[in-house]
Amino acid sequence: MVRQYLQLNNMKSLKKIFTTMKTKQQITLIMVFLLFSLHTLLNAQQIEFRGTAKSVVSVGERFQLQYSINAEGTGFKGPQISDFNVLSGPNASTSSSVQIINGNVTREVSYTFTYVLSASKEGSFTIPPATITYDGKLITSNAVKIQVVKGGQQPQQGKSSGQQGTGESVDVFLRAEVSNATPYLGEQIIISYKLYFNNQISGHDGFQKISSFPGFWVKDLLTNQREIPTKTEVFKGKQYNVAEVRRFALFPQRAGKIEIQPAETELTVRVRTDSRRRSSDPFFDSFFNDPFFNTQAKDIDKILHSNGLTIDVKPLPTKDQPADFSGAVGKFLLKTEIDNTEVKANEPISIKLTIQGSGNIELFDLPKFSFPPDFEVFDPEIKSDIKVLPSGVSGTRVFEYLVIPRNPGTFKIKPIIFSYFDITSARYVTQQTPEYNITVERGDGASSVVTYSGTVRQEGIQIIGSDIRHIKLPPYKFQPVGTFFFRSRTYFVCLILPLILVVVILIVWRKQMKKRSNTDLMKTLRATKIARKRLKQAFTFMKENKEDEFYIEISRASWGYLSDKLNIPLAELSMDNVKTKLTAKNIHQDTINQFIENLNQTEYARFAPGSKSENMEKIYSSTINIISKLEKELK
Amino acid sequence: MRKLWVFTLFLLSFHSMAEDHLLLMEQANKYYNEGEMLSAIETYQAVLRTGFESVGLYYNLGNAYFKTNNYPMAILNYERARKLAPNDQDILFNLEIANSRIVDKIEPLPEFFMVRWWKMLVNARSTDQWAHISIITFLLFLLMLLFFLLSKLIWLRKLSFWAGIIFMIFFIGSVVLANQRYQAFKLKAEAIVFTPTVTVKSSPRENSTDIFVIHEGIKVSITNQVGEWAEIKIADGSKGWVKESDFVRI
Repeated sequence: MVRQYLQLNNMKSLKKIFTTMKTKQQITLIMVFLLFSLHTLLNAQQIEFRGTAKSVVSVGERFQLQYSINAEGTGFKGPQISDFNVLSGPNASTSSSVQIINGNVTREVSYTFTYVLSASKEGSFTIPPATITYDGKLITSNAVKIQVVKGGQQPQQGKSSGQQGTGESVDVFLRAEVSNATPYLGEQIIISYKLYFNNQISGHDGFQKISSFPGFWVKDLLTNQREIPTKTEVFKGKQYNVAEVRRFALFPQRAGKIEIQPAETELTVRVRTDSRRRSSDPFFDSFFNDPFFNTQAKDIDKILHSNGLTIDVKPLPTKDQPADFSGAVGKFLLKTEIDNTEVKANEPISIKLTIQGSGNIELFDLPKFSFPPDFEVFDPEIKSDIKVLPSGVSGTRVFEYLVIPRNPGTFKIKPIIFSYFDITSARYVTQQTPEYNITVERGDGASSVVTYSGTVRQEGIQIIGSDIRHIKLPPYKFQPVGTFFFRSRTYFVCLILPLILVVVILIVWRKQMKKRSNTDLMKTLRATKIARKRLKQAFTFMKENKEDEFYIEISRASWGYLSDKLNIPLAELSMDNVKTKLTAKNIHQDTINQFIENLNQTEYARFAPGSKSENMEKIYSSTINIISKLEKELK
Repeated sequence: MRKLWVFTLFLLSFHSMAEDHLLLMEQANKYYNEGEMLSAIETYQAVLRTGFESVGLYYNLGNAYFKTNNYPMAILNYERARKLAPNDQDILFNLEIANSRIVDKIEPLPEFFMVRWWKMLVNARSTDQWAHISIITFLLFLLMLLFFLLSKLIWLRKLSFWAGIIFMIFFIGSVVLANQRYQAFKLKAEAIVFTPTVTVKSSPRENSTDIFVIHEGIKVSITNQVGEWAEIKIADGSKGWVKESDFVRI
C-alpha cells in the first residue's frame, strides 16, 4: 500500500516549526552541547526498556509494536514474532528532549524500535521480550500481550471510541451524502463522501476503495484535484474538520430502489498521547501544553465505514413521451450550423451538429442527419468537450459532417428532432433544428465528372428502402366469393348458343339450296348431267343402228343442253336466236359457229338419205366435242 | 307494365348493393392512407363479409396486414388475390416482400422443365380468363367450320380447315387449363401456416416422430387428409403431417 501523507490539520503549525529551525547546524550544535553538559545527570536516571502495542487488534489490521528505551542502547535484539506477520521493522528512531525548569535541566533520550505487524488469526498471543545492551548490561523488555479479535468489530464511524490508554479520543467518521435521493431514471445525482475528523490524519489509502456503484453510470468528479481542501462544519452540535474525499456524478440506469453499500476506507489517525506534566503553574502549564512541546503522538489505524444510501429511482413518465426519445435527461440545447447552402457539384459542405447542456450527455445517441442519398457522406468528426466539474457533468458534443453533393439539383436536409426529459420542469422537451435547402449547381469542368470520358454519367436507381407497393385504387371488379364464370350457366350458354346458331345457319343454307334446285340455277347445274345422259342413250342407239332414235337423242341433247344452260325454254329456241344468246354469254365465235354447224349437220343427216351409219359416229363424236367445249367456255 | 317496375326495382337494389362495396372500399382506403391500419383492416373485412370478393380487396387487405407486421395474414390475402389475378405484378411484388419477412426461407425444389412450363401455363391466366379464351377460340372454330362448309373457293376451304383444327386444339387446351385451375380452387389445396412454430410429424399422430419445424407465414400444399390431420408438402419437397388448425387454406 502506498501511503500518502497529507498535512491536514496541523500543517500550518508544523511549517512554523521548520522555519524557526532553519539550519541543521544550529540543531546539531544545541544537541552536542546538551549531551555533554548533562552527561552526569543521565547516570542517575532509571533505565526503562518497554514494549508497547495495542492490546486488542482485529484480524487483518495493521498495528505497531514499539520497543523504546530511554537511554542510548546498542545491539537491539528483536523478539521471535511467530503469530503475526511482520510487515516492516525493526525501524529505529531516536528522539530527545531537553527540559529546563528553573535552572534544572532535564534531558530525555528515547530510542524506539518499531515493527509494523498484522494479525492473521484470532486469539490471544504473547510476543516474547526483546533485549538491548546498555552500558555493558543486557536489558530485557516486557512481554507484550495482544488479543486478536474478528475483523469488522472496529468501532464504526469513529464515534469517539478511541484507544484505551491514550489521552485523546479518536473522532473520525465518513459520511456519504447524496444531492437527490429520488432522481428520475438517467438524471444526474451527485454523491459525495466526506471525512469528518477532529484528529490529525497522518495517512490514508487514497479512498480508492470508494468506487463501486452497481446500477449507475459513474463519473468521478474529483479526478484532477491534487489536494483535498478542508473546511470546518458543525455536525450534530460538534465542530469538525471536513474534507470531501470523493465526489461522483451518478446516472441511474434502472428504475426502482437501488442500494448503495457503505463505503470502506482505511485511515491512520494520529492521536496525541497524554504526556503533560502535572504542574501547578498555570502559566507554564498553558505554555508547555502547546502541541510543539508535546509532540508525543501515536498513529492508530482505523477502518471507516460510511453510511449506506438508498436511491429511489423514478421511472420517466410514459405519458407524452415522444417517439424519438432516446434517453436524454437533463437540460440540453441542440444547434446546427451549415457553412454553405449554395454550392457547385462536388464541392464539400460542412454541417455541424452541436449539443450542449448538462446531464447524461455521454450516454445517449444523438439523432443523425438524413442526407439525400445522392450525397456522399463522410463519417462525422466528433468532438467532445465534457466538463467534469464538482457541480456535475456538463459539456458540449460536436458532430461535424462533411458531405459532397455529387449531382446538381435542389436538396433538402430534413430537420433533426431531438427530445429530452427536462428535470427542472419534469416534462419532455422536443427541439427541432431548421431544415436546410441546398442548391447544387452544375460543377465546373475541373470536377471529377469529366473523368467519365465525356459521356453522360449514368447511375442505376438507388433503392433506398424496400416496401410494399401501394393499395389498388378503383375501379374494382366485385364478384360473389367462390363463383366462377367457368362452368357457370353463362359459360355454357356462351358455348352452346353459337353452336346452335351455326347449325341453324347450315340448315337454313341447305333449305335454300333445295329451294333453288327447282329454279334456273339448279337447271344449269343439271344441264351437263342431262346432256351426258342423252348422249349415252344416243350411243346405245348408235350401237343398235337405230338411226332415227339416235338423231332424235342427239338433237335433244344439244338443244336441251342449251335450253338448260342458257335458261331458255326449248320452245323459244331456234337456229336464229342461238347465236345471239351464246354471244351474250361471251362464247367464242368459232365455238358458236362449230355448234351451229354441228346442229345443222345433225338435222341434215337425220333427214338425208345414204349411209347413215357412217355419219352417226361422226356426228356423235363431234356433238360430244362441241358440248364439252361449250361446257368449258360457259363455266 | 308491372313486370317492368319489378325489374327496375331489382336493378336499383343491385346497384345500391354495388355502391355499398365501393363506399366501404373508399372508407377503408381512406383509413389506409391515414395510417389507421386496424380500422382499414376492419373495413376491408366488412366488405368481405358481404360475400363479395375482388382482386383489389384482397390486395389492399394484404397491404394493411403487412403494415401491421401481420405477415401470415398479409401473405394469405396476397395469395388469395393472386388466385384471382395470377399475373398481377403488384401482387407478385408485395408477396415477395412479405415472404422475405417471415422466418422460413425455403429453396424451392427444382422441377422438371415440362412440369414448370405446364405450371407457368396454368398460372398464366386466371380460371375465368381461360374460360373467356375458350369461348373466343370456340367461336373462331365455328366460324372456320362455316367457311369450310359453305365456301366454294378452294383456298378458303383449305385455310378454314386448318385454322379450324388449330382453334379446336386451342379451345380444348384452354378448357383443360381452366378446369385445372378450377379444380385447384375448389380443392383449396394450398394453405398458409398461422401457428408461430409448428413441428411437422411423420404420421398423423401426436406422439409420432418430429421431422422438421416450420414457422408462421409459410405456404404449404395439402396432399392428403386424415381427420384433423393433414399431410403437407413445402416448397423444398419435404412432406409431413400437421394439424388442420395450424393453417388456413388460401
